[in-house]
Amino acid sequence: MAINMNLYSRGDKFFAIVTSILIGMFTIATLYPFIYIAAVSFSGGFAAAAGKVVLTPVDSTLAAYKYVLTQPKFWNSYLNTFIYTIGGTIMSLLIIIPGAYALSRPQLVGRRFWNLFVAFTLWFNAGLIPFFINMRDLNLLDSYFGIIIGFAVNAFNLILLRNFFEAIPRSFEEAARMDGANDFQVLWKVYLPLSKPAIATITLFCIVARWNGFFWAMVLLQSEDKIPLQVFLRHTIAFLSDDQEFTATLSTQPYSVESVTGAIIMCSIIPVLIVYPFVQKYFEKGILLGGVKE
Amino acid sequence: MSPDSDKQHGHAIVNVRPKRSLKHKMIWLADHIRNEWQIYLMLLPTIIWMIVFLYKPMYGLQIAFKDYSIFRGVAASPWVGWEHFQNLFDNDQFIRAFWNTIKISALNLLFGFPAPILLALMFNEVLHATYKRTAQTIVYLPHFISTVIIAGIVTTAFSPTAGVVNTVLGWLGMEPIYFLTKPEWFRPIFVGTGIWQEAGFGSIVFLAAIAGVNPSLYESAVVDGASRWQMMWKITIPSIMTTIIIMFIIRIGNIMEVSFELIILLYQPSTWSTADVVNTFVYRQGLESGQYDLAAAAGLFNAAVAFVLVMSANTLSRRYSRTSLW
Amino acid sequence: MSNVILKNIVKSYGDMEVVHSIDLEIAPQEFVVLVGPSGCGKSTTLRMIAGLEEITSGELSIDDRVVNRVAPKDRDVAMVFQNYALYPHLSVAENIAFGLRIRKESKEHITKSVEEVGAILGLTPYLQRRPADLSGGQRQRVAMGRAIVRRPKVFLFDEPLSNLDAKLRTQMRAEIKRLHKRLGATSVYVTHDQVEAMTLADRIVVMNAGIIEQIGTPMDLFMNPANTFVAGFIGSPPMNQLPGEIHRHSSGMQVMVKEVAFDLPDSIVVEEGREVVVGIRPEHLSLEAREGSFAIPITLDLVETLGSEALLHATVAGEHMIIKAETHGDIDHLQRVTQVYAPARLIKLFDAHSGLAITGSGDEEQSQS
Repeated sequence: MAINMNLYSRGDKFFAIVTSILIGMFTIATLYPFIYIAAVSFSGGFAAAAGKVVLTPVDSTLAAYKYVLTQPKFWNSYLNTFIYTIGGTIMSLLIIIPGAYALSRPQLVGRRFWNLFVAFTLWFNAGLIPFFINMRDLNLLDSYFGIIIGFAVNAFNLILLRNFFEAIPRSFEEAARMDGANDFQVLWKVYLPLSKPAIATITLFCIVARWNGFFWAMVLLQSEDKIPLQVFLRHTIAFLSDDQEFTATLSTQPYSVESVTGAIIMCSIIPVLIVYPFVQKYFEKGILLGGVKE
Repeated sequence: MSPDSDKQHGHAIVNVRPKRSLKHKMIWLADHIRNEWQIYLMLLPTIIWMIVFLYKPMYGLQIAFKDYSIFRGVAASPWVGWEHFQNLFDNDQFIRAFWNTIKISALNLLFGFPAPILLALMFNEVLHATYKRTAQTIVYLPHFISTVIIAGIVTTAFSPTAGVVNTVLGWLGMEPIYFLTKPEWFRPIFVGTGIWQEAGFGSIVFLAAIAGVNPSLYESAVVDGASRWQMMWKITIPSIMTTIIIMFIIRIGNIMEVSFELIILLYQPSTWSTADVVNTFVYRQGLESGQYDLAAAAGLFNAAVAFVLVMSANTLSRRYSRTSLW
Repeated sequence: MSNVILKNIVKSYGDMEVVHSIDLEIAPQEFVVLVGPSGCGKSTTLRMIAGLEEITSGELSIDDRVVNRVAPKDRDVAMVFQNYALYPHLSVAENIAFGLRIRKESKEHITKSVEEVGAILGLTPYLQRRPADLSGGQRQRVAMGRAIVRRPKVFLFDEPLSNLDAKLRTQMRAEIKRLHKRLGATSVYVTHDQVEAMTLADRIVVMNAGIIEQIGTPMDLFMNPANTFVAGFIGSPPMNQLPGEIHRHSSGMQVMVKEVAFDLPDSIVVEEGREVVVGIRPEHLSLEAREGSFAIPITLDLVETLGSEALLHATVAGEHMIIKAETHGDIDHLQRVTQVYAPARLIKLFDAHSGLAITGSGDEEQSQS
């Protein structure tokens, strides 16, 4: 919709400029912390530790990166994150898509009951301790499978997809069934192709949740070789200054706790920053799909 | 083809029908299962998963009323009634944690709730399309960054020796402050971080609502001589008021759900007085100290309060959105 | 080709009965149209034949086989939906082939069938296009193609033309009729448009509030409606219906609508004093006296010009009446009409209370409430 500037009085133009400036300020404020941490990561150890870094690297060096990228545990945790993300997302889709389809079918006996069964889990949660004890009783502690399966279903995504399926005119299902298709074929051949935006959205939500998942991975996993990136990050950031092995090297190396923290953060953010611009349109549409219908 | 015309009336309206016999219903059920078994198969994994991972823990929640030990297991542990709850309400830490939850949520409501709305309104007034697009892309970004990273950046920035905040304070001639150990600084930093992380992404809902406003409303206002500022107040805001109210009600429903991952990552024993919330209390008592039953009781209390709030919020929002739709 | 028999078919949703025990026999190759106002149960009945709705009680047979409990895909019926239900992500050819693919027909068979159907419906140049790139009429034809390609025993049409504009509808009506002539398939067609019913049907089933009002050929329904509902439903404009009473007259029985007298056909036998509704079609009224016709004084309200014809809206004894007359290129003379003529043999009589037609057999057909 082209804006007709003739309709803008002087006061309006002023208002538009002020708003743009305010938006600009918020945008810069949003961006700054990332620029800051990047600068810290590229700075020399002493400068970083002394607080000399504000906007640009001081005493630029790649030493912190060298340290981070030579930690085998770092790469291992990256690999683990990929395992959890891909495995977890696939598991989620395999359960959620058919489930949402079934819930959207009017012929489902007890439909109201099943939907309530699902919605209830959004309203009431047994809590941290019972969930933990349950995982332990199921022998799912400290296992890849435990992380993948334990968080496979999110009722919110399920309901979002169900609503989307419900909105598709039922004559598609009827026509396909009259043509001889069974329910699996109707879902796979007709409804899924029609639902690409919704599927893309919940896939995105799953991937983001898995990639950033930290708390339960920390609680449920004990073996160091199974922890994902975020948990490794957390351990590093929190305990680096206590690591004797590490602090011993500080006097001879041009990095510090801060610059290494910065480097490891940057290494973790890069994939997100690269993928992010491509997915922007999907989540915007996704919010519209989810709508405010709670 | 039938030779004569049939003049036929259907039978008169029959109100008396034989009640469907049990046999009739069984036949129907058999047919139904024969024709529709697939959708039940599709539903099965979801239901089983929820039973195993969400409903079974609810069964385990009874340890809140028991003296639980791992060796005895849930069933064999003896009942102790409300003992744990009494302990909780006598426990200063818990009471404090509860009030902290409320206070932090209130702050979030006061500052964190309007932020996305203001952003959306401002975005709506920006004229330069590319500028707007770029700014939106940037402000949505922090939502996608993990809490660990967010906390890592914040801790570094507020560090007493190395952080930029203290560096700037130094320029202004002030003494460095060890922010993250000071209880009075925790909440502002927490709420501010929350806004940084979520305000941008949160504005999408409101932007969608604003986009749904009929453009002819603005056009007729232009003809009437209104300024953009006036239009914002008289057209934009009233039009999205339903969305705002519904989001507000949902927010109230979620008061007990403070983003406790961020708290765990930012808090310390010295800031517990303002930072400790019910879920972090549960985490420490339960997962760190192993007092599972007490922690479960605390969690149950939290969940019960949350449940009441969410149900009230749902009812309110449903009533409100229905009345405002027509 | 197959027959379709409905015996005592009842449909209820919970406690609410919406189709009240209807009986219908459709002969092989017959084109039957179910017509009636919204909510009369015609779509529900069609969907019961298709198997998309469960039959509450009664018996449905297709090709002399009871199919109440048979799944839609096993009934060998094909349906054309009101909104076409074309799969937007598939091309026209793939849409048509969908059912065949599900049934795992051979590739050659599928290609050949699709080409054939495409040729019949004039879709050959569009076979690779997506539905979104087609016009309404073309989409309509793809929907029909999908049904035809399966060579089913029965074709079902659920208001297929209601989404088209008037001109297209006329065109497509003719196409459907041509197709039926060519394929000769048993067809059940649902519409609320009585013009479609009249032009397409071998027999029409008029439905109202869950019951069948009348079954008959188009001309049967037009000339001999069984009750006031059918009389008022079929025909455009519908039959004029005026309330009156039977009076004895020197030349025989007459209907008195207030002070205006209507002669009756010789065949009708009816007793004096009976309250009735007298019916006469707008087309059957004329501006000139003819043999066997009687005069009706009218007060003209307005004249609607349709070109070669005009509709005269008038009042007779306080009741509204419409007369269809030819204009012969000039409507001025129509403005001055004070009297019209009706042939006695085309007058219809209905009982004022039951609405049923009063015929020569002296008594109305069966049923009482």
